[in-house]
Amino acid sequence: MIIFSERINGMYRDVRGAIADRNKEVIHRLLAEQLAGGADVIDLNIGPTKGDPAENFLWLAQAVHEVTDKPLSLDSAKANVLVQAVPAVREALPDTGLVINSCTAAREYMDKLLPLAVQYRCGIIGLTMDQDGVPGNVEKRVECGASFLMAAIEAGIPTEDIYLDPIILPIHAAPKQQIHAVEAIRQLAAVSDPPPRFIVGLSNVSQKCPLHKLLNRTYLVMCLAAGLDAAICDAADRDLIDAMITAEALLGKHLYSDDYLRAWRMQKGLAC
Amino acid sequence: MPLPEVKEKWSGRVHPVTLGATPAEGGTRGRTVTIGGASGIPFLDFDGETPHAPAIAMDVLDVAPSDWPKPLADVYADVWSDPAAWARRVKELGADLVNLRLVGTHPDEGDRTPEQAVETVRAVLDAVDLPLVIWGCDVPAKDQVVMPRVAEAAQGENCLLGAATETEYRTLAAAALAYHHKLIALAPCDINKSKQVNMLVSDTGYPLADLVIYPTTASLGYGMEYVYSILERGRLAALSGDRLMAQPVILDVGYEAWRCKEARTGDEAAAAWGPAALRGPAWEAVTAADLLQGGADLIVMRHPKAVETVRRLIDGLLAPTA
Repeated sequence: MIIFSERINGMYRDVRGAIADRNKEVIHRLLAEQLAGGADVIDLNIGPTKGDPAENFLWLAQAVHEVTDKPLSLDSAKANVLVQAVPAVREALPDTGLVINSCTAAREYMDKLLPLAVQYRCGIIGLTMDQDGVPGNVEKRVECGASFLMAAIEAGIPTEDIYLDPIILPIHAAPKQQIHAVEAIRQLAAVSDPPPRFIVGLSNVSQKCPLHKLLNRTYLVMCLAAGLDAAICDAADRDLIDAMITAEALLGKHLYSDDYLRAWRMQKGLAC
Repeated sequence: MPLPEVKEKWSGRVHPVTLGATPAEGGTRGRTVTIGGASGIPFLDFDGETPHAPAIAMDVLDVAPSDWPKPLADVYADVWSDPAAWARRVKELGADLVNLRLVGTHPDEGDRTPEQAVETVRAVLDAVDLPLVIWGCDVPAKDQVVMPRVAEAAQGENCLLGAATETEYRTLAAAALAYHHKLIALAPCDINKSKQVNMLVSDTGYPLADLVIYPTTASLGYGMEYVYSILERGRLAALSGDRLMAQPVILDVGYEAWRCKEARTGDEAAAAWGPAALRGPAWEAVTAADLLQGGADLIVMRHPKAVETVRRLIDGLLAPTA
């Protein structure tokens, strides 16, 4: 599974403060934990910070790039922010992999963000929703996912750079939506050839729940069994990563050995 | 009707491992032999490259064998009490490497001393300029005394030493590391264990890229399919990017084939089974041919007729398609 680190996010007070104070140390410390846990892509979200969003994104991207040359995903729900931030980050980091997080299947969003992804050589995450909001059922999710996928392929984005996110909602706020998202992954994987990558914003499922870690890792395993390829999650949550490795071994994605957890970390060059 | 596309997109490949060292590389071998390196399923040239053909090592024992049947005795009996002469013989017969077994160091089979083992290794190194595979006697307590001495004596020659196992790997890995030899990692017919042994050996600081996997071997008619499926799964894991399973594979075909009654029985069975002079080599050649398809990179063999047949098969399978 491709691990998108969720921790460099301005929704967290420490990150928000670090962006405001231009304090790289905080970012570097959090990043070290995420990398030690096995993060493959660093998701950057500036949260509700003050100042120019594109400048904040650029500062954050450069602060992260000082430590690692792993790909970055630029995370904002506002298309206009991404339209400014993506060119700025691309200019500063010409060789770094970038992922736009995220776009919806609404025409207005796709018209802005798909050409942007092509022009600046970015992967892109498409949410399975359109102008009508988050679907309340599986069918609409599949419909939105399929139309985003078709539009992205037509725009010229390689399938392996297209991610579909079936939108994960908190269990206490929207029960049944969790299994809808799992089913949407299963159905979209079955109808697309070659399939895009499937990704979830994992921690949404457990927002404001006391047993959030248990919910996260249980749900991750369910999604992996349906065909999930990537998750935005806390790479420093060792139990979560252990559950992911175990699920992948059981799904036959890697060869089992008695020390399979260590084998996985060893192959990623992580301390065991 | 158009043919369906069956080509796979692999992310990994088998590590290439080079054996032997020429004078320019600090050894005295006439040439080196590289095994592994494949980036696809064996012998499917559309699927991936096979930069190095599977190599053939031929058996030489440190003491005269007591139980080799007539078809083998006919070829080796005049040299088998002298490992150096025997090594020269297998070179003449077309071996890529000499597979030297120090069976005489076994406590119950002569209990030769480490000094005598060293003498044998030196004699073989002096007699031929082929790279060497060197095995102990499979008794850990004895191998731990003999193999470090042998490794030291062959320093600079970049030999392949056998074999590290799940319980006995530290001494051999340390000796191979200290004297710059390649190392065989053995896990009997268990691919999950194989990955585990590779990991354990790697924990000692020995490089994964210098290992060769030995999954043990089974002959035609005696469980060969089991080894075949392990070879297949191992190759697929390597091609999928599993670095702990990306090592080339050595198989001991000659020993296993010549243990079978179909190969050993003499001409008293000729009426039903055909002449012994052909039957044994055929058994060995067919076993090798099958296991090569599964993904063997280095095979140890005995009979020159079998070697000749298998060599022709490899050349044919790797010949560029028109």
